[in-house]
Amino acid sequence: MDVLLDYAWVVVALPLLSSALITAFGKRLPGKGSELGIASLAISWLLAVGIAWETFVNSPIEPVERAIDWSPLGGGFVLELGILVDGLTAVMMLLVTTVSFMVHVYSREYMHGEVRFTYFFAMLSLFTFSMLLLVVSNNLLQAVIGWELVGLCSYLLIGFYWEDKSNQDAGNKAFMTTKFGDVGLIVGVIVLSAGMFSMTDTPFNILEINEAAAAGQLGTTTVVLGMLLIFLGCISKSGQMPLHVWLPDAMAGPTPVSALIHAATMVTAGVFLLARLFPVVAQSQAVMTTIAIFGVITLFFGGLLALVQDDLKKILAYSTISQLGYMVAAIGVGGYTASIFHLFTHGFFKALLFLAAGSLIHAVHTNNISEMGGLARAMPHTFWTFIVGSLALAGFPLTAGFFSKDEILIAGDIWADAGFFTGSLVYWIGLAAAFVTTFYMARACFLIFAGEHRGHHTPHESGKLILAPLMVLAVLSVASGYLLSPFSPEQPNFETWTATPILDAEASYPFVLEAEASALGVIGDGVQASGPVLAAEKEGPVKVLHGVPTWHPDLLAMVLVLFSAAVFLAYRFYGKGLPEKDPTLSMGRFTDILVAKYGFDDFGYRYIVVPVRDKLSAAASYSSNVLIDGVVAGVGRATKNVATTTYRVVDQQMIDGGINGAAFSAAWWSEKLKRIQSGDVQKYAGVLVAGTIVLVLAFAAVR
Amino acid sequence: MSPVGPLLLATFLFCAGVYGIIARRNAVLVLLSVELMLNAVNINLVTFQNLIFPDDPAVTGQMFALFIIGVAAAEVGVGLAIVFNMFRNRASVDVDDADLMRW
Repeated sequence: MDVLLDYAWVVVALPLLSSALITAFGKRLPGKGSELGIASLAISWLLAVGIAWETFVNSPIEPVERAIDWSPLGGGFVLELGILVDGLTAVMMLLVTTVSFMVHVYSREYMHGEVRFTYFFAMLSLFTFSMLLLVVSNNLLQAVIGWELVGLCSYLLIGFYWEDKSNQDAGNKAFMTTKFGDVGLIVGVIVLSAGMFSMTDTPFNILEINEAAAAGQLGTTTVVLGMLLIFLGCISKSGQMPLHVWLPDAMAGPTPVSALIHAATMVTAGVFLLARLFPVVAQSQAVMTTIAIFGVITLFFGGLLALVQDDLKKILAYSTISQLGYMVAAIGVGGYTASIFHLFTHGFFKALLFLAAGSLIHAVHTNNISEMGGLARAMPHTFWTFIVGSLALAGFPLTAGFFSKDEILIAGDIWADAGFFTGSLVYWIGLAAAFVTTFYMARACFLIFAGEHRGHHTPHESGKLILAPLMVLAVLSVASGYLLSPFSPEQPNFETWTATPILDAEASYPFVLEAEASALGVIGDGVQASGPVLAAEKEGPVKVLHGVPTWHPDLLAMVLVLFSAAVFLAYRFYGKGLPEKDPTLSMGRFTDILVAKYGFDDFGYRYIVVPVRDKLSAAASYSSNVLIDGVVAGVGRATKNVATTTYRVVDQQMIDGGINGAAFSAAWWSEKLKRIQSGDVQKYAGVLVAGTIVLVLAFAAVR
Repeated sequence: MSPVGPLLLATFLFCAGVYGIIARRNAVLVLLSVELMLNAVNINLVTFQNLIFPDDPAVTGQMFALFIIGVAAAEVGVGLAIVFNMFRNRASVDVDDADLMRW
């Protein structure tokens, strides 16, 4: 079975193949190309399940790396094209192929009869390929390629209904905003690799970078600068504040796209990359603190924004931002496993929520929850799957979201015990945000399903192809949580699955060891060696891997209280249908701030978009059209003048003059000289005699 | 015997021949002038034979003079034939008219 890991590239290649085939032949097929996408994803999914199983039961496994050299540039280093299969890759592959497969199936009915149906499937497959390319890549450059490709697919699919100007703008906004972070990512990758150049000829190799970082061979500047720049890429791609602004607008795309790209997979790319480079992240307290603070800000303030939204997809978008904040914050407080675990479970329940939302929107032809209501009876299957997804998102006990979110909070608690304030921030603000999450999801559920229907259409349940993915994802939204719960065995569980040899059970953080050692009064050369021993006498240093979680009754109690309070509050306000005055919209100044989205969009529009558009673009246009074109045209004109002058003076006058002059002078002289040949024999004789006389006289004189 | 007399005579004859060739227009007279110059040369040959090699049993100078007389006779034959032909074609024996070989 081990051989399966070698064929992980097939999982990646199949969607690319199907994308190409759909583009080429899709329109001629009976299913308009959808069957190709679904079939290839089904095979990919089966392979991914096999790989996941293989890596899971034997976990922790040694990473399997297969690469070919691909050095079109030549030079002193080797570029690789390769795969790196370990638990983390397997988790991501499983998540991406599962959600993508579900979305492919779902889209076949959801997008039925839409314009550009075939194009849509080609793009879905292309996106799946890009995301898989990113997650299996064994080197950072290949990851960047995948990263940019998913950005491109995201752009194309957000602007799928490009007839509408606002959709084009949403696509542009997403593309530009993420591109801003991508610049940081690329520079960060180069910074990290620059630190590797002296040690290896494959400086982009992820395993080698991680090993070098864990061994302390990378300089502090390289680690801090490189990781902060890479984190800038994560901020834009994973919707962290303040670069989250594109994600709500990205809901302009078709709903399956929102589910696949803007909730379950692409937006987690940033978190995935941080997890992939976690041994590097773990080297620097500054980097971890920065990441944690950005995550905490995002998870709380992103969630608050969902309170005042009426558009169901936007509520889900802001909740995605908030949940991504949890994942990023978890990385920042040493919750490596917790972060990936939440990424994994969130992928399922958020995809479920979006697809269920799509089913609702399909039925009532509006995105606004104020125009829904009373749909529980009309759409029973959508109802219960949506409720399962909401419970998981809200972290209701025994759902997947509960286990994964509590992992993050516990990681924060452990981090706080080690003496870092960000740990407490994550723990308490994470709890508070869970209340907010529960409240806005409860608000949405009551407004959608309870009371009387407020829309004009008669709602109807969706078809089988829409409901089947919902049910599969609903099961996964609960079941996936048990991979790492108090019920899990010591081995295998989610933690051993995603653990890499570098992050073995004994690994800790270098700055933690130093801090604890110095706290015990050990200074100087002995710090590294004696740190763990001395720290172990106290409570032991904080480990990277936290082991199988145990029940935390205090946390469970708080979660339950907050959940009940939030649901009760939401029921009071919305349980009987839409109130005259929506409480979340009547909180005075607070509401104004939330409705204005903290002014990020305004600020961005006024101080970035407008200056760039009106000043910078004009200046760029001026410099291009006037300055550069002027120089180019000037050079052209000058060359033409020089050429004309050369032609007139040098060619026409000097060269032609010389040649013509030679000819004319020859003609002139020959005209004169021909007179000598008069034909008069006597004249010749006279000249002959005269010549003879001259010669005789000359000889005589010489003698 | 003093060579002065014959040499002076030869000089006079030669100069007369040259003048005739350059100055006369009639082709027959030009031929005649050529004969004068040849004979001046003959006189010179005989004179210098007797002056420089009086004892030469082969009398080379005289013999050479005899050859020249023979050749001159042949030359006159050819030359007169040319003049006749020219006269036939052009009705003139003026050498100035014979200028076909000019530019």
